[in-house]
Amino acid sequence: MFSVQVVENVLQSLSAGLLLGALYGLMCVGLALIFGVMRVINFAQGDFMMLGMYTAYYAFVALGVSALFGSFVGPYLAAFVAGPILFVAGYFIHQLLISRVSGTRTAQLEGEGHYAQLILTLGIALILENGGQIVFGSILHSVQTPLSSSAWKIGPIWGDMIEIFVNRARALAALLSVAIICVLAVVIAKTRLGKALRASADNPTAATYMGIDVDFAHRIAFALGVSITALAGGLLAPNYPFHPYVGLEYVIIMYAGVVLGGMGSILGAFWGGMTIGLVQQLSTLILPTQLQNTAIFVVFLLIIFFRPQGFFGRVVERT
Amino acid sequence: MLKVDNIRAGYSSVPVLKEVSIEVGAGEFVAVVGPNGAGKTTLFKTISGTVRPRNGRIEFDGIDLLAVKPSRRPHLGIAHVPEGRQVFPSLTVMENLEMGAYTEAGRRDWNANIERILGFFPVLSERRNQFAGTLSGGEQQMLAIGRGLASSPKLLMLDEPSMGLSPAIADFIFERLIEIRRQTKLTILLVEQRVAEALESADHGYVLEAGQVVLKGTNETLRADDRVRAAYLGM
Ligand SMILES: Nc1ncnc2c1ncn2[C@@H]1O[C@H](COP(=O)(O)OP(=O)(O)OP(=O)(O)O)[C@@H](O)[C@H]1O
Ligand SMILES: [Mg+2]
Repeated sequence: MFSVQVVENVLQSLSAGLLLGALYGLMCVGLALIFGVMRVINFAQGDFMMLGMYTAYYAFVALGVSALFGSFVGPYLAAFVAGPILFVAGYFIHQLLISRVSGTRTAQLEGEGHYAQLILTLGIALILENGGQIVFGSILHSVQTPLSSSAWKIGPIWGDMIEIFVNRARALAALLSVAIICVLAVVIAKTRLGKALRASADNPTAATYMGIDVDFAHRIAFALGVSITALAGGLLAPNYPFHPYVGLEYVIIMYAGVVLGGMGSILGAFWGGMTIGLVQQLSTLILPTQLQNTAIFVVFLLIIFFRPQGFFGRVVERT
Repeated sequence: MLKVDNIRAGYSSVPVLKEVSIEVGAGEFVAVVGPNGAGKTTLFKTISGTVRPRNGRIEFDGIDLLAVKPSRRPHLGIAHVPEGRQVFPSLTVMENLEMGAYTEAGRRDWNANIERILGFFPVLSERRNQFAGTLSGGEQQMLAIGRGLASSPKLLMLDEPSMGLSPAIADFIFERLIEIRRQTKLTILLVEQRVAEALESADHGYVLEAGQVVLKGTNETLRADDRVRAAYLGM
């Protein structure tokens, strides 16, 4: 009986890890898109995710999404409202601030102006966190849906002995997240825009010689990256209550995921985030929950030690 | 077609070009030669806009080029095949060519251009789905030239296409350039270390030394000049 219990626990954690990992993966992809194309380290990414959560929340409760579409479809629709809104926000933040310390403006500078970028995105992060505190208050918010407290039962399998429960809200969020990744992968691989983004990432100067407006490509990458992470936040909101400083918890996961995925590899970042979700959930089998994050960083350090180019990075050099 | 007039340019604190003027007429093949560090690459970058000149004027097809954003200049018909090839390593050969065709004209003429480019460089056709970063130096140079042609340019600027290549491959590239010019009648501006070959196929040329044009003239005048013969042709 004992071993069946263990198998059941492992399968349960595995499924929880896959569902959470899919969302982490989506967040990481947003960050990787920005880092991969612009080579800018965005400390505010977690705070944009926080904004995505609050935008989804207010779209749900205040914009009437909940009244119109009910509490089953509503929360997910609200997350998809957060995406475009944060896209616009990201677009203008790049135009007003980020473009001043990145892109062709700094291409000739020593170290490509990285110090200014770090200070700027850190400043944006602080403003968003403290501004969030003022505007949203510090109490925990959450998007209420009956789905987050109901589950599908898989099984009984293996001669009636094993049953696994899959939280419906998390399953739906994970499926949507995978769908978004698929669409994004096709856009990046096949469309003119996607190829122009990759060319700008590979060699901004040569991209300019092709007639690509690299600063505009950066603006699109930044806005898209912010909106994808915000959307991930919106999808997370029904299951994970949030506050204005919640970004700090997730930004670390995002960075670990992006590094695991091979810095700058956009789809690699998805697998990096997935790895972290799995490690986090599987570690609860043998470690107390408080040590979840420790487990993530132990695995992270091990991978970096043995495979510094990341787990899923492609070994093609940039010029 | 292209008129560079009294350009001064350089990098943050280093002045490089001092009052450089060159002219390229429609349909001409013009060579710029000179020693390392003379400013040939800087001249090209000034024309395509990644280096901003301090003063002077550049006119292309009657348009004031310095008033045009660098990323718009290819759309006017200027293709820059940069020094060191600079293909997009993580894009495939085909995707690199598609990026060449990013201009309006390049998209319009894609079908005809791609057939022609793969005709000039059949090896690119064999390698079409390979990442450009994994090509050999010679293949990357062919891709860089093909990428330039894919934009349907009026002016093709080539910065040392033979750099770092074996003599046999460099000869092949040169032979292809002459063939490209014969078939397309493109206007070409070429920077080359292989001065003998460059001057032989060019209509006229400029000798750039320490940021200044020290000599200019037709193919015959330059090749007959004692200084050119001594310094570049080893005679
Ligand atoms: N990015 C840069 N920053 C500062 N100085 C530069 C930069 N690029 C080139 N230079 C300097 O400008 C001068 C001219 O360089 P340029 O590359 O134009 O020469 P070139 O004629 O193309 O030489 P080569 O034949 O070796 O390619 C050199 O002294 C070089 O050191
Ligand atoms: Mg040069």
